[in-house]
Amino acid sequence: MASLLELKNVSKIYGDLHALDDVSLTVEKGEWVAIMGPSGSGKSTMMNIIGCMDKPSLGQVLLDGKDISKESQTSLTTIRRDKIGLIFQQFHLINYLNAVENVMVAQYYHSVPDEKEALAALERVGLKDRAKHLPSQLSGGEQQRVCIARALINNPEIILADEPTGNLDEANENIVLDIFRQLHKEGTSLVVVTHDPEVGEVAQRTIRLEHGKIISDEKNENFVE
Amino acid sequence: MIKNKKRLMFFKMISLSLLRRRSRMIVALLAIVVGATVLAGLVTIYYDVPRQMSESMRSYGANMIFTPDGTDSLTDEMIERALSYIPARDLDGYTPYRYENTTINKNPVTFAGVDFDGVKKTAPYWNVDGAYPTRDGEVLIGANVAKTFNLGVGDKTVAVSSIEITEDVDESLIPDYEIIEIDGVKSADHELPIKVVGIIQTGSSEEDYVYLSYSDVEYLTAKHRGYDLVEVSVNSTGGLESYTTSISNGVEGLRAKLIKHVAASESAVLTKLTSLIFIVTAVVLLLTMICVATTMTAVIAERRKEIGLRKALGASNLSVVGEFLGEGLLLGGVGGILGSVLGYVFAEIVSKNVFGGSITFLWWLIPVTIIASVAVTGIACLIPIRSAVDVDPALVLKGE
Amino acid sequence: MFFRMIKGTFIHQWKKMLMIALTVALGTSIATAMLNVMLDVGDKINAELKTYGANINVVSKSAAIVSSLYETDEATDAYLQENVTGELLTIFWANNILDFAPFLDGQVKLDGTDQKVTGTWFHYHLSFRKKGSDYIRDTGINNLRDWWEIVDGERYDEQADFYKDAGDLFAMVGENVAEKKNLKAGDEITLTGKTTEVVKVVGVFSSGDNEDDVIYLPLSTAQRLTGKADLIQSISVSALTSPEDETSQKVAKNPELARPEDYELWYCTAYVSSICHQIQEAIPTSSASAIRRVADSEGDILNKTELLMTLITVLSLIGSALAISNLVTSSVMERSQELGLMKAIGAKNVRIAGLVLTEILLVALVGAVSGYFIGFGFAQIIGHTVFGASIDMKGMVAFLVAVLIFAVTLIGSLPAIRNILRLRPSEVLHGR
Repeated sequence: MASLLELKNVSKIYGDLHALDDVSLTVEKGEWVAIMGPSGSGKSTMMNIIGCMDKPSLGQVLLDGKDISKESQTSLTTIRRDKIGLIFQQFHLINYLNAVENVMVAQYYHSVPDEKEALAALERVGLKDRAKHLPSQLSGGEQQRVCIARALINNPEIILADEPTGNLDEANENIVLDIFRQLHKEGTSLVVVTHDPEVGEVAQRTIRLEHGKIISDEKNENFVE
Repeated sequence: MIKNKKRLMFFKMISLSLLRRRSRMIVALLAIVVGATVLAGLVTIYYDVPRQMSESMRSYGANMIFTPDGTDSLTDEMIERALSYIPARDLDGYTPYRYENTTINKNPVTFAGVDFDGVKKTAPYWNVDGAYPTRDGEVLIGANVAKTFNLGVGDKTVAVSSIEITEDVDESLIPDYEIIEIDGVKSADHELPIKVVGIIQTGSSEEDYVYLSYSDVEYLTAKHRGYDLVEVSVNSTGGLESYTTSISNGVEGLRAKLIKHVAASESAVLTKLTSLIFIVTAVVLLLTMICVATTMTAVIAERRKEIGLRKALGASNLSVVGEFLGEGLLLGGVGGILGSVLGYVFAEIVSKNVFGGSITFLWWLIPVTIIASVAVTGIACLIPIRSAVDVDPALVLKGE
Repeated sequence: MFFRMIKGTFIHQWKKMLMIALTVALGTSIATAMLNVMLDVGDKINAELKTYGANINVVSKSAAIVSSLYETDEATDAYLQENVTGELLTIFWANNILDFAPFLDGQVKLDGTDQKVTGTWFHYHLSFRKKGSDYIRDTGINNLRDWWEIVDGERYDEQADFYKDAGDLFAMVGENVAEKKNLKAGDEITLTGKTTEVVKVVGVFSSGDNEDDVIYLPLSTAQRLTGKADLIQSISVSALTSPEDETSQKVAKNPELARPEDYELWYCTAYVSSICHQIQEAIPTSSASAIRRVADSEGDILNKTELLMTLITVLSLIGSALAISNLVTSSVMERSQELGLMKAIGAKNVRIAGLVLTEILLVALVGAVSGYFIGFGFAQIIGHTVFGASIDMKGMVAFLVAVLIFAVTLIGSLPAIRNILRLRPSEVLHGR
């Protein structure tokens, strides 16, 4: 069986700057991978490439065995919609839509909005009773959970989280990490980009980047299934 | 079913965007409403003001006269036929005049038989000190006549007409008068007691005449005769010339002429005024539309992040454009409806204040206003949306 | 630092700032153009209305009493001296007098039938000397009877090359006369009155009123024919006037009894009544009266046009004010995050408000100045397309517009600034 995600000798070059320099990486289905590194190490570039928001300058990206590195912008959008759930540091909720409506937006672009399913997704992240609240009425942690529910709603192949706890206090950070654990148990593949060691260390596998290259890739021995 | 649900979500999104972002929505709506109001208001005024101005131009009085052409005088039937060439709604009023020479205190004075209701229309500029005559024997006199004979309002005097008894004299009108015969010419001095009820000031030749009813003139002269002149006041938004031509050609013995200095300056002022309003409308409209566009641009531009998010969530460019455009068009529609109402109200206020009348309601202006504001809003939205959807979602979402 | 921050805004947000400047410019240009047109439209329409002809008639004082009904009355005191005409140029409102012409009527014989002739100026070069000053004006009925339609030939013009040194034996013939006597341009006619003059028909005109029954002659010719050397009967005057109001009518009835300040105001306003009054002062033997038909209607139309333009101007002012304040509001709100950050790092409310206001007002200033000139352009376009003349730009408008734009911009920024000041920095930075 093919790997879920495979980067083959991927480089991203901006002028003279090699944001990613000949990186190869494989992520299996159901894996929980943390990508770590200081700022400027190429994390964001990698995240964008995996999230189908950017294309590599060189190399191949295989998602579900399909090469996406040469796809057009339009088909990248389609792939992102169908296979990837995004979680952002700044949550990026639409401020005039309430929690459940924000989740439904993702359904709307994917297939069909269905309030019951959206509510179920919110229930999964423990926010059923806050479903009718607007983002401005939710705490940061709650907003991030809405964001997670939105990422989950279309059953993506991969959940891609960019500094998901960057704007959260410790209590909320733990809630989010608990949800990740839960998702992992249910078999969802997770790629978390972070510079926070605590978040990185709870993952199944940690990849460290520096100057566009992978400097370490190790399984977390303390990881509890 | 699926389509319905998607459509429902579409409308839910655009309406919630408008309802829950109230302050921004009001900003945008206000801009559109102002634009639509200006459009509807000024266009209504542009269409209606020439008509209303033309009506108030009638304060100049008559702008056309009928005179006999090869006949001795004009009959009622001829006048009626001539007037039938002018559409009833454009005919403001007319006054036939019958002039006769008589004397007061042995001094010659020209008497004019008129219909005083007609005079009020064709010579509204008469400044009457006193009142208009209401019954036989009451007369209006010109200010010069009043000075000459030292007559004031309420004074009574006697008009004397020396009538030569010829075939066209109706002797039943002079039963009791002494008929004098000199050299085979029979004549009688016919008297009419008159009472001055008003003195007119006009600053021109009207001040030299005495005005009274037709029946008094007839009694005084003992002759049945038609009229020497008819003054006609016609609302003109153009085409006065064609009336005079067709009347002169169509009615035998009657000639219609324009009083050129009235007709010419009426059309001059009307033309100027119409083109003034037209160009003002055009300029203000253009500027307002640009203002609407810049406001819409600003309102959309601040939502670049949201556009990026939607794209990150898998929205195609087309659907993002669709949603934002939908929002803009909805706003444009609502703004257009409000604007056409407010524009009408504005035009009505103008009409009431300036002309004291109601404005004509242009029903077709409602759809035009709505379509125009939807179109302007749509175009104004499309420009910033197009540039926004082309941005890389990753950049927008990363950037603060 | 304050200025560096402002500079920063201009450099980094130039697009947004440009948009505000553009909107302010547009709003300013509407306001400038409309206000100028509004203030000038009265004069312009007034000038158009002069097509209606004279609005003041000047006759001899005695003629005003002895009715012109007595056409047989030969008393010389019913006439004015021709040379008093120049006095019109010396009155306070002389500049408002557009045209005037003296008239002298007479009855002559043409082919054995009675014919009315009127002597007048057509396009006369009047040069008048009084108290060491020279008053010069070209005037006459070619302007005063602008509406005459020339059916045949051309208008007589004393000053045209062809007629300049050709004497005064020319005539303009009314349409009805021409028809009756079968006259056309170029014909010679013999007029017999006190003298006999052979004049050449220059043109045939149609006026639509009783002037069509008259032959118009140069004044000197008519004076010879009627034997009234240097005399005239009346002067028609066309003057730009302001519509009369209640006070003016009250003063006009009895100028001597009016309160001095009312009298002053009335005298110094171009009411038709005050101009008449001044003419009578300048020519003591005369009686000047308003031709009501013209004077009244002019006032009416003038008032309506001005009111109309005022209302349209108000609408466009409201429109541009809303557009400006709208955009300012939305663009300030947009920056809530940036301003929240400033609060977070310890900026005081006053400083933030000061910063935002300074920025906006600077942009507005740029927009307003350029808008004023655009508006100037629009006003001139309107003036030239509609009236074929420039619109006078009034300094008052510049001041008014400046105040307006300043106020509107300020008011537009207020709700947004209040919003910002109420923001708690943490909320802003956490993207709520």
